[in-house]
Amino acid sequence: MTTTLPNWFTARQEAAQKRYEATPAPKRGDETWRFSNLKQLDFAGFVRGADVSSANTADIVARSTGIEKTAAKFVFANDTLIHSETNIPAGVIALPLSEALVSHPELVEKHFMRQETRLGSAKFAAWHEAMVSNGLFVHTGDNVEIEDPIEVHHWISGQNTVIFPHTLVVTGTSSKVRVIDIFRSSDDITPGLAIAFNDLCAGKNSQLDYVAVQALNEVTRIIQIHETATARDASAKGFILNTGASWARNECLSRLEGPGSRSDMLSVSIPAREQEYDQRTFQHHVSEGAYSDLLFKNSLYDNSKTIFSGLIFVDEGAHHTDAYQTCRNLMMSDTCEANSMPGLEINADQVKCSHGSTSSQIHDDEIFYLRARGIDPVRARQLIARGFSVEVVERLAHEATEELVLRFVDDKFAHIAGGGA
Amino acid sequence: MSLHIQNLHATLEDGTEILKGVTLEIPKGEVHAIMGPNGSGKSTLSKVIAGHEGYVVTGGAVTIDEEDIAEMSIDERSRAGIFLAFQYPSEVPGVSNANFIRAALQARLPKGEEIDAVAYYKSLYAKMDILEMDRKFTGRAVNEGFSGGEKKRNEILQMMMLEPKYCILDETDSGLDIDALKIVAKGVNAMRSPDRGMLLITHYQRLLDYIKPDHVHVMAEGRIVRSGGPELALELEKDGYEFLKEAALA
Amino acid sequence: MSYEDTTALLDEETHDAINVDRTKGDFTFPERHKFDAGYGLSSKTVDYICDVKGEPQWVRDFRHKALAVFESKPMPTNWATEDLNNINFDEIRYYLSDGEKPKRSWDEVPPEVLETFERLGIPEQERAFLAGVEAQYDSEAAYSNMKEELTKQGVIFVNSTEGLKEHEEIFRPWFGKVIPTSDNKFSALNSAVFSGGSFIYIPKGVKLKQPLQAYFRINSENFGQFERTLIIADEGAEVMYMEGCTAPKFETATLHSAVVELVALKGAKIQYVTVQNWSSNVFNLVTKRGLAMEDAEVRWIDCNIGSRLTMKYPGVIMKGRRARGEVISIALANTGQHQDTGAKMIHAADETTSNIVSKSISVGEGRATYRGQVHIPKHLKGCKNNTECDALLINSNSRTDTYPAITVRGNRHATQHEASVSQVSEEMLFYMQQRGISEGAAMSLAVNGFINDLVREFPMEYSVELKRLIDLEMEGSVG
Repeated sequence: MTTTLPNWFTARQEAAQKRYEATPAPKRGDETWRFSNLKQLDFAGFVRGADVSSANTADIVARSTGIEKTAAKFVFANDTLIHSETNIPAGVIALPLSEALVSHPELVEKHFMRQETRLGSAKFAAWHEAMVSNGLFVHTGDNVEIEDPIEVHHWISGQNTVIFPHTLVVTGTSSKVRVIDIFRSSDDITPGLAIAFNDLCAGKNSQLDYVAVQALNEVTRIIQIHETATARDASAKGFILNTGASWARNECLSRLEGPGSRSDMLSVSIPAREQEYDQRTFQHHVSEGAYSDLLFKNSLYDNSKTIFSGLIFVDEGAHHTDAYQTCRNLMMSDTCEANSMPGLEINADQVKCSHGSTSSQIHDDEIFYLRARGIDPVRARQLIARGFSVEVVERLAHEATEELVLRFVDDKFAHIAGGGA
Repeated sequence: MSLHIQNLHATLEDGTEILKGVTLEIPKGEVHAIMGPNGSGKSTLSKVIAGHEGYVVTGGAVTIDEEDIAEMSIDERSRAGIFLAFQYPSEVPGVSNANFIRAALQARLPKGEEIDAVAYYKSLYAKMDILEMDRKFTGRAVNEGFSGGEKKRNEILQMMMLEPKYCILDETDSGLDIDALKIVAKGVNAMRSPDRGMLLITHYQRLLDYIKPDHVHVMAEGRIVRSGGPELALELEKDGYEFLKEAALA
Repeated sequence: MSYEDTTALLDEETHDAINVDRTKGDFTFPERHKFDAGYGLSSKTVDYICDVKGEPQWVRDFRHKALAVFESKPMPTNWATEDLNNINFDEIRYYLSDGEKPKRSWDEVPPEVLETFERLGIPEQERAFLAGVEAQYDSEAAYSNMKEELTKQGVIFVNSTEGLKEHEEIFRPWFGKVIPTSDNKFSALNSAVFSGGSFIYIPKGVKLKQPLQAYFRINSENFGQFERTLIIADEGAEVMYMEGCTAPKFETATLHSAVVELVALKGAKIQYVTVQNWSSNVFNLVTKRGLAMEDAEVRWIDCNIGSRLTMKYPGVIMKGRRARGEVISIALANTGQHQDTGAKMIHAADETTSNIVSKSISVGEGRATYRGQVHIPKHLKGCKNNTECDALLINSNSRTDTYPAITVRGNRHATQHEASVSQVSEEMLFYMQQRGISEGAAMSLAVNGFINDLVREFPMEYSVELKRLIDLEMEGSVG
């Protein structure tokens, strides 16, 4: 098999490298970095990871457990494919990006990083584009429904290793697919960095569900850029779980490009200790008659900090838009900090938009109710805190995926003092 | 002197024809009822007469007291004497009933003339008493948080205050329990007069037990297919709209 | 009978009493200024103002320092509109006055100034329901008077120049403390060239039954009005202050950049009511903030109509336990206007409560923006914030934006924020028109209904005026 990368790709990478060098780093006063801790953006000293030794490879593959029934499963360590199983139906391409670039260069080119990064990380998107070498490429034909999820594990291994995982999913008309990305570190003590990008292109009347589970170790940082585009009558659902990393930045942009299309943007974050999660979202209604609904929930423990900045943007002419945005913060300690910036920019008519943001604690009467049923107060708080997240997880509407996500949620609670109480 | 609908054709904006030649004359002093199955065009007829911009009149005419209303805007038709009691009255948040009705009455006065507030409230309260409405009602926003019965009573109250020449009541009985229906009927009957024509649009005979019509018409597929006296309503109640199918077969 | 019905009955009388609209405000008299600082801004301008006003050295130093801050700060276009770059500071005159002291009687006011305020209805309002009035014409107050009994109670109501000269011991400790010079570019500008505005002191326990009013009138073209207001309510005192603003419609841009500082000491209550009705050539860039000590309350009740660009985010720093802050705001943006308004709530003590209710209406090509900041730092407990902002769009060309920012630390607080955008529905208009109400009147009713619950927060006389101004704005916006 030849491994020559297509010319367009090498050209894009060279251009991106120049763009990366030319783009200034975010600075104080940038609206897209308001409340952010810019010190987190010092990535000096991080290098591409070396190949992982075969002993470690076996260990990582063994630990790459997800859901039982998958349509395909890929395991990457430091952006290198170390394991794959596939059971993909005919008419569907589901390959590591490095292979797809060689075997389907035109298809990849058509969809590869087509949207403008507008939520602050243009520099890091350029860095990703310059450095990306692997990830997942999915392209379904028309009228194909893939029952079981495609599951991808991205591992970071080795001191000061940076990875650039990429996920590109393109659905044909009336097809259906679900992709799960799981980001993890090979141990709990080695610092790492991930500059991840995922691009979802939901074709007409198709259904594209995407889940990202971020459970890196707590000395690793990650920037994840999520871009979604929905064609007429398409439905895209994006879900992000943040339990790991010392600092995570999510930029989620959904472009509603066709009438009747729908985008659900969901997130559960459970920061504890000194963790900081910084999330920026953009619901871009380009077409009239589309629907978007965002629900982000944060449960904050210890000295953790979250930032939510969301914008519903309705273009001129995108009439009859329905757009909703909700961010809820559950404050579980006296020293946690939640920042919310829910925004609206409406330039069209006959629009129904609303946003809501709340920060509150568990109320005494909720605890009282559970105690009156014989549940001790610590357990009562655990139950209520978990229930707060479960409400979002249930929106996935796929039992096995929900179970997987909840496994990571419960694992996180188990690593918080008081079991999340 | 009548509300005269002559061979009226109307379509939706997308061209779908809903009214396919309706002819009907409601002289002053008479009460007419239109009955018919769902989707027969009854409610559309009322909206087209009121001038709703979602329909296009493609043929025929509506006149009141010999005057063609085709060129009149919605509010001009209202001021010319047409009143529509809505099946689903709209909410007007933040605008009190008292101010709303007052604004409607004010719109009927020549420029520069103002409503006498004392007389206005006297008249409003008298009519609210007939409809057994609480005084607090005047301060509430129009239809906001109203029960079905309250909304319908409010429609009748507005009708009584505006004293129109021709009243069209669109499914006024829907969503009413029997007590509320009786109260609404009392209000409507109080409005019957030799100077006023009325058109009741209803799916059920029940309303006609309390408001006796002079003539009953059956509408189907965008046309009046049968007309008769009050006995027609009883017949429909007993036999339903089955005859429509037979008529279609024959 | 409900409150609203009463308003309806009073409508007629009050109509005539307060006859202010923009057509009424759109007139001008020839300038007769004895003192004119000329065009452009430099340290000479600042010295000129100090000299004319005969100010003490500490004020001169304050102004010069502020000028340096103003010059060093960039335009805040990293978050605000680029339209700010269209202000040409060299084409503005910073001080214009006839050199007369404010008069205590309308009889002594120069005839054209008197006629101006009579046409705006000010003397009549004073007789009808006000405890005191200050009327500013360009840079200085032309008239300033207060009911005699208030003077006896120790209430001070003078312009800022008199305040800093005659009452330095009360004025100086608070001046520039609630809003530091460097707060933003325009607070620095105001600090450099301020003139006019009110200084008010309400002694301990004195509760004013009637409001004090200031009226700000721009008469001259290419002019910047920079009034400076400081209100101090001593322990347990209560005051309501109302301000109105108009300017004629000039061809060129006019600048209004005020700074307003409120200090509510323990248990005091200050309500600050604004109904601005600027013509649409005015850049209105105002900084307003209040300090509320223990058990004190500061309320901003704000209605913004007109202007080319308004940027105004009244704030409250709740510094004492159980202090309360509130912003009630209505903004109406018509074609050629951008209302960029909001609120800032800084919780700096336990059990403090803030409430923000903002409603905006965008008509034609108008643009309304809400920006909010709610800040609850750590080590506090029992703080509450409620924010509601609703926007109504009237035409498909209008635009509305909402950008709140809420920071909460710790688990002993509660905040909630809700915002919505809606339209006047076609079905609602059909319903109203079917009752004989014209499309324009129906739209007016719907808009008034949308803000009705906020209009009630304004004093009766202002709420009637407000409804009428909105009717005027809505005329011709449909069809």
